[in-house]
Amino acid sequence: MVVLSDITISIEREHDIVAARQKGRELAARMGFSGTDQTLLATAISEVARNIVSYAGRGTVVLSSVEEQGRRGLMIIAEDHGPGIADVGLAMRDGYSTGGSLGAGLPGAKRLVDDFELSSTVGTGTTVTLKKWLR
Amino acid sequence: MAQLGDQTQAQLLMRDMGLTSQNIERRRQIVGLEPQDLARIAAVKDLVLGHVEELTAVFFDYLASLDESRPLLNDRVLRERARQFKREHLAAMVQSDYGPSYVEQRVELAILYGKAGLELRVFLAAFHHLLKAIGALVLKQFEQSPLGGFDHFISLKKVAFFDIGIIVDVIVFDRERVIRQQQDAIRELSTPVLQIRERLLLLPIIGVIDTHRARLITESLLKAIRANRAKVVVMDITGVATIDSKVANHLIQTVTAAKLMGAAVIVTGLSADVAQSLVALGIDLEKLNTVGDLQGGMEEAEGMLGYSVVSAGTAPAAIQT
Repeated sequence: MVVLSDITISIEREHDIVAARQKGRELAARMGFSGTDQTLLATAISEVARNIVSYAGRGTVVLSSVEEQGRRGLMIIAEDHGPGIADVGLAMRDGYSTGGSLGAGLPGAKRLVDDFELSSTVGTGTTVTLKKWLR
Repeated sequence: MAQLGDQTQAQLLMRDMGLTSQNIERRRQIVGLEPQDLARIAAVKDLVLGHVEELTAVFFDYLASLDESRPLLNDRVLRERARQFKREHLAAMVQSDYGPSYVEQRVELAILYGKAGLELRVFLAAFHHLLKAIGALVLKQFEQSPLGGFDHFISLKKVAFFDIGIIVDVIVFDRERVIRQQQDAIRELSTPVLQIRERLLLLPIIGVIDTHRARLITESLLKAIRANRAKVVVMDITGVATIDSKVANHLIQTVTAAKLMGAAVIVTGLSADVAQSLVALGIDLEKLNTVGDLQGGMEEAEGMLGYSVVSAGTAPAAIQT
């Protein structure tokens, strides 16, 4: 996989979430994603960025334009050094939340994109990688 | 009494800025203050303590050479307090304790600079001259090993940059206060609840919904429902580009609260894109009564209230006479 360009947005407060998804929408539009895909990507970015604010307090979202096997895509990496997720399986289950929310964030974000990877270590932090390919 | 007032002001500001012990610890990490730095600072402690007066004079003499610092220097009370703070600062700088009380002193001094209208660039220039003077003292003490002298000075410089970080943040935070106040005003203006007919309200939502705004929307809607004895509310979200699970949750809660107050809510203007992302997120919006567009929503609302809108051309003859 080749990264063609990337932008890093530091996430600390609620308005950083808005900034991240606006940047994501702009990048998606430039790359030629359809209006619907732009909205899906913006929503996915919003979910993973919101998780950083809600559970880790501080982190980063990196948005990149990538190429792999002749196809182009948008990659979102949300990284934090927060408390980590003890049970990844449980966190990926619909309706499960430790934060009093709808519990739709992570499983929902997964359904909004094509590829989804979650790695988390308790006490070290969490990295969520999402990819959506141009059709 | 003034002293006491300012102290609480510094503490309040620290709270507003999120200057907690955790944040302070993080700031120390950011400038890279390590145990070996503290050891080096301890080694030059007496040197700095022995020159507090002289170093304070360097700072203020430089300020005095600049027209820009007149407001601070011409006010005798402010000037004397600033001098006293600077003496205390120099003494505290070499005590190797950079916790909340040290930060509180920095914040207090920054408030004073702000009050005197001391520009950031003027402060930075004077602070640089002060550092230069400290550096000259340290290098002189380490004449035999200039490299060691440099290391010791760099350790002190880390504290200086820790201090600058705080002073800059206080001054910027104070300026942003105006922006925050305006934001609050815009937020409040941007959530109008309009009465369209007897017992029918329209709530157009445009732009970004964050937690704070969602709360405002709920509040103003519930108030308007009570004041207008409304039975039906049309909530139009055509102007909301992105709805994530948190915002959806806010909307559901607002609708539920309105229901509890006896008003039915019709949500209109859900775009195709937003609808798809909500389905993908797996959010159950069954509870919401949604109608495609604002016009359809208004028609449905009027129907619920027993109104029927008739074009003047087709109105009953009895009225036409």
